[in-house]
Amino acid sequence: MSLVVDRVSKRFGSVLALDDASFSVEAGAIFGLLGANGAGKTTCMRIVLDILRPDSGSVTWNGQPNTALPRRTWGYLPEERGLYPKMRVEEQLRFLASLYGVSDADARREITDWLERFRIPDYRNRKVEELSKGNQQKIQFIAAILHDPDILIMDEPFSGLDPLNVRLLKEAFLAMRERGKTLIFSTHQMETVEELCEAIAIIDRGRVVLHGLVRDVKRAMGRRVVRLATDGDGAFLAELEKLDALRGLTVGARRADFVELQLPADLDPETILRAALERGQRITRFEIAEPSLEEIFVEHVGRRAIDEEEGHLATSAGGGDIE
Amino acid sequence: MTGLMPNAGHVARREYLVRVRGRTFRITTLLLAVAVLVFTLLPTLLRGAGVTGDPPQIALDVQADDLASDPVAAIRDALAASGAAGPLVTRAEDPSDAADAVRGGSLDGLLTISRGPDGDLTFEYLSSQGPASVERLLVTQAATSLAVSDRLAAAGIDSAQSAVLFRPPAFVSTSADPDAPDDDRYGEALVVAYFLVILTFMAIITYGNWVAQSVAEEKSNRVMELLITAATPQQLLTGKVLGTGAAGLTQYAAIIAAVAVGMIANGPVSNLLGLRGEAAFRLPSLELWMLPAFAVFFTLGFVLYSTLYAASGSMVSRIEDVQQAAGPLIFVSIAGYFVSFTALNDADAGWVALLSLVPFFSPYLMPMRMLLTSVSAPEILVALGILVVTLVAAIWLASRIYSAGVLMYGQRVGVRTLLRAARVSR
Repeated sequence: MSLVVDRVSKRFGSVLALDDASFSVEAGAIFGLLGANGAGKTTCMRIVLDILRPDSGSVTWNGQPNTALPRRTWGYLPEERGLYPKMRVEEQLRFLASLYGVSDADARREITDWLERFRIPDYRNRKVEELSKGNQQKIQFIAAILHDPDILIMDEPFSGLDPLNVRLLKEAFLAMRERGKTLIFSTHQMETVEELCEAIAIIDRGRVVLHGLVRDVKRAMGRRVVRLATDGDGAFLAELEKLDALRGLTVGARRADFVELQLPADLDPETILRAALERGQRITRFEIAEPSLEEIFVEHVGRRAIDEEEGHLATSAGGGDIE
Repeated sequence: MTGLMPNAGHVARREYLVRVRGRTFRITTLLLAVAVLVFTLLPTLLRGAGVTGDPPQIALDVQADDLASDPVAAIRDALAASGAAGPLVTRAEDPSDAADAVRGGSLDGLLTISRGPDGDLTFEYLSSQGPASVERLLVTQAATSLAVSDRLAAAGIDSAQSAVLFRPPAFVSTSADPDAPDDDRYGEALVVAYFLVILTFMAIITYGNWVAQSVAEEKSNRVMELLITAATPQQLLTGKVLGTGAAGLTQYAAIIAAVAVGMIANGPVSNLLGLRGEAAFRLPSLELWMLPAFAVFFTLGFVLYSTLYAASGSMVSRIEDVQQAAGPLIFVSIAGYFVSFTALNDADAGWVALLSLVPFFSPYLMPMRMLLTSVSAPEILVALGILVVTLVAAIWLASRIYSAGVLMYGQRVGVRTLLRAARVSR
């Protein structure tokens, strides 16, 4: 039981949006699709949804090609949110559900249920344009799941939500997984991925540069991280780097109240603890961790993508292009 | 590929309801119906207004006293024939007083009849009204017939004989073609043909544009991506055309009902206003099979155009750009409209017969030809066949353009880009 994207390529004019991309998602998992803007995430999602056909490659769900699957297999939350602004919430949702063949009675029941879950039961008969952005997004999410799809694909579901609504949406994610659904979403918020996803794929310029279980991905990085905080000014840290016993250690940038040390895989973290104690330091924090997804992402996609992204964000006030 | 139903039905239903519930739709429909009702009643109302005003008063200053017929009766009869009740025609007792009365507006006209040096009658008409007045035209006509009978009398032909001279001959015209429309109903057939051409044109221009607008709107507010995930382009396209078409027909029903009310009301209204009966509008002699044929040509024509309108709507990202994208279509539909108007005056011409087979023109021209000339059944079927084949091709092309176009934003979408993208989309 899994979704398999197999060697998918797609070209738009001179741009190779997807280049031989492959990854798989276990049924019932929450899966993170990561990549800088313009990396090919949206194209990938559209191809999985079969609203775009790839130039080559295939997508299968439990061995069946996606082109043969009924439409109601899929739930989709597009990056560009879109609802009919002048239609009332319930009427709109019932219309969208009817396209998936959901009976009106079922649709009404589910709408009631979800509006309550999102704490907006009074908005049933309001026009969408009268709702706040966050609430419109909740309606958009309900629109994506009313027909009870097996696979839910969401493009940046958390963008533009306040922390309270982020929490509500995360709860909804978990509720969907309880029901045995498979969830795939893209985001730039790495903490969210760490919190929710079992597995990820990182796409860079159309290529899948990394994919697998989050745990395996972190182990495969071949190093660990020690977060260390002491009473003193931390001058001893410079000495640590020079010790033979700690060869390969790099001292990262100073954070708010701790320092992150990168360790090669063969270095025992306790050596650091001992070395620090030997230099008379009072340790207030010592934490052995795996590298964060953010570090992994930066390492694989590189500074280039981040620079480009910042440039992109600064200039992309208007409409995007076909990603 | 999945079937069209039930999703096309859901889309059509939403489209129809949103359109019909809209304030713009209600207001325009109401205004159109009222306007059409007023226009149908206008001639009667105007004539009524003319009657309820002062009856025309005309004074005659007859200086030639040896006239063959009574000039007062001749002028009065001529004015009465126009439907104006109770024209007052008198002999002026004092011509200069009468002339002052005309200038002062209390008298409508003063006609001076005298005999010229060559013995012929001469007329001078002093009128309080402009050259375009009907009254003046009628007085001119009456004067002409007075002059003619006067000349005949001079030539020794008396009034009884001249009446015989001017009686129209027995003239019976029979068309060699038994299907040709009756001569006496040709005028009415022409009116109906006009009406059909205008209805078809308005439907294409207005409701076709609605379809394009609505597609572009879904693209610009980004609902399209949700829709295209839930339903196939064919379902969306079909639903859109059907729903908008149904809304258009609803508006048409209101307009046609207003015309019917107006035509029925014409009789009672003119009685109420005391107008003398004039021949009411009669429907031309139609054969019953023509009505479904008109409906079929109208529907297919509308669907053909509006399918392509939908495709053009899917090529733009903003509603403001719709007109530009639909430009070629608007051009073709206007061309069809003008061609039909030229053809109305020459319905038997060979070029009309030829163009009535061409798909984008046949919805205009074929019903018109059926009304005005006789068209053979095979000819109608060929036109219909070509239209259907074109329609199928247009639907195929439009759903390709649509499925590629709806996901393209920002860039200028050329037809080549679309077709390339269309090859690989579902």
